[in-house]
Amino acid sequence: MRFARRTMMALVATTALTSAAFAADPIKIGLSGPFTGGSASMGVSMRDGVRLAVDEINKAGGVLGRPLLLVERDDEAKNDVGVQVAQELINKEQVVATMGYINTGVALASQRFYQEAEIPVINNVATGTAITKQFPENNYIFRMSANDVIQSGMIAEEAVKKRGFKAPAILADSTNYGQLGQKDLEAALAAMGIKPVAEEKFNIGDTDMTSQLLRAKAANADVILTYAIGPELAQIANGMGKLGWHLPMIGSWTLSMSTFIDNAGANGEGAVMPQTFIQSPTTPKRKAFIDAYQAAYKVDRIPSPISAAQGYDGTLLLAAAIKQAGSTDGAKIKAALENLNTKVEGVVTIYDHPFTATDHESITANIPVFGMVKNGRVVAENPADLEGANAVRVKAH
Amino acid sequence: MFDVQTLIQLVVSGISVGMIYGVVAFGYQLTFATSSTLNFGQGEALMLGSLAGYTIMTQLAAHLGLPMPLAYALMLPFVLIFGMLQGAIVERLGVRQAIKTKSEAGWIMATIALGIIFKNLAENIWGRDTFPFPSPLPEEAIQVMGIRILPMEVLIVCGAIALMAAVELFNRRSIYGKAVVATSADIGAAGLMGVNTAQVITLSYALSSLTAAFAGVLVGPVTLTGASLGSALGLKAFAVAIIGGLNSGMGVVVGGVLLGITDRLTGYYISSGYQDVPGLVMLLLVLSFKPSGLFGKAKIKKV
Repeated sequence: MRFARRTMMALVATTALTSAAFAADPIKIGLSGPFTGGSASMGVSMRDGVRLAVDEINKAGGVLGRPLLLVERDDEAKNDVGVQVAQELINKEQVVATMGYINTGVALASQRFYQEAEIPVINNVATGTAITKQFPENNYIFRMSANDVIQSGMIAEEAVKKRGFKAPAILADSTNYGQLGQKDLEAALAAMGIKPVAEEKFNIGDTDMTSQLLRAKAANADVILTYAIGPELAQIANGMGKLGWHLPMIGSWTLSMSTFIDNAGANGEGAVMPQTFIQSPTTPKRKAFIDAYQAAYKVDRIPSPISAAQGYDGTLLLAAAIKQAGSTDGAKIKAALENLNTKVEGVVTIYDHPFTATDHESITANIPVFGMVKNGRVVAENPADLEGANAVRVKAH
Repeated sequence: MFDVQTLIQLVVSGISVGMIYGVVAFGYQLTFATSSTLNFGQGEALMLGSLAGYTIMTQLAAHLGLPMPLAYALMLPFVLIFGMLQGAIVERLGVRQAIKTKSEAGWIMATIALGIIFKNLAENIWGRDTFPFPSPLPEEAIQVMGIRILPMEVLIVCGAIALMAAVELFNRRSIYGKAVVATSADIGAAGLMGVNTAQVITLSYALSSLTAAFAGVLVGPVTLTGASLGSALGLKAFAVAIIGGLNSGMGVVVGGVLLGITDRLTGYYISSGYQDVPGLVMLLLVLSFKPSGLFGKAKIKKV
């Protein structure tokens, strides 16, 4: 009897101890992105890339012995919804850090809540330059994507220096992303002594671009530079097809969106854009990522490869920072991010001290290459850009 | 800088866009005439018609191996029936109660709510992205005296006019149509004369969604289709309905074309950023000076 009771107590004790280990308090990470609407393909790809990384991390034991728990919220690409989401994630869900943002406007509106609460934000996709500059002191905002200064510089260089165009027309949407991007493009072009011959805008949801294109045509434009998102970009391409007036399209990374490629069809072929990641197994790590993504989400072509890759890499960096900080305190995670000791092999690049106290951009201008739409997919415009030693380009320090 | 060809190109583009506004606004006018209510989810009715048409058409083409033009033609009657059913559902769920209880704004809320529900339904069935609608006509623009028009745009204009003519003919020739006209003229008297006004209202909603669904498959090949197709169109068409006059079928068509053309012209000659302004300015002007619309008749209430 006593023996049986002892065994019972031993059994109960061991179960309690092991279940305590399994029922470890999860680390809550917020995830804010548009899962509905015109930006949804980017938001969903980012979410899926993040989920992939979280699954891998949790399978390997989690961070600090605790599993990561994603708290996902749809910000609908709307600034006011983003603000509500931020407040909910901070106050109700009490997340340790948040990953997000596809849309520059949403990021700019929502980030200050995290800054005040001293909770780090990893911006996986949004490229508006102002995002990491919003808070000059004690900045809690970090970024995984190539910002618009880099992209507009690349676009201007490709159009003016490489292809010799002299009369660019800028077509941008009316959101923060489009308008701020247009300003960056103007600055980049001005640095090369070129002034755009036409600058046209349109709203999200507009389908007829006739006026804008005719104005560009009347100004004798020789290239169309774009700062917009998928569906509207497709209508620009289709509009040119309808008018029988075909100009090359060079624009921001959103020209890689599946909603552009599918809806523009033949009219979209040949469009080029800066890309930090092209869905092509150029390294073993990238191949593993692509295969895992395709298997987990049952797709062949990732809807927005950059969103997925940067989301994945952002999660890896955040996990490494929490591990280094040894705690879930926001200020400590921020400090760890700014002084990351371990090299992290991501999909986009290998991260070696990606951030410092004053520099919160993990991507420098030498990392992205130009992608081109060809046969319904995005390939490298110049395959040599991603071959051999060029396959992995690391941040220039 | 002034180029006649560009002007005509803009006008032509504006006419085809304006026709779509006109057809959707025609739907608003149909229900308003008989029941003094309208379906604020009209844009979503258009969207559902477009998506349903897309599915039926691609299924027909895939399973029966039909070429696109034939699949499109075969799909049309199904979409029209779908539209009628959708309209009847909206009326039964949203509007009937509100009319019975003589609620002033109940039908507004109900139709808006139904619109949101339909949009969410569409997002779940067809996804959230926009996608291309296969065109039954060749996608190459045709050149007429230097003006480029898509064959599909010509179809939009002809189809829209044909549909509205058919509805007007229905109203004038068939007995059901006469009942609709009677109810529009005076619902009380029509009821007393033996017209089943409740059925007439259901019929007008069915017709309204039918025109919207038809507009949806007309506009799909030109503008891409997707769950968010309806919202902007529904709102613009509402402005057109007010401008044209909520009790004039011809008025909404003229209003639509007018809006389409001024939009395009403003976008070109003034600035693309101001493209939406003329429509709103016209709306304000009409409401200030002729609230019953350009072609509407002011209702005189004898006190």
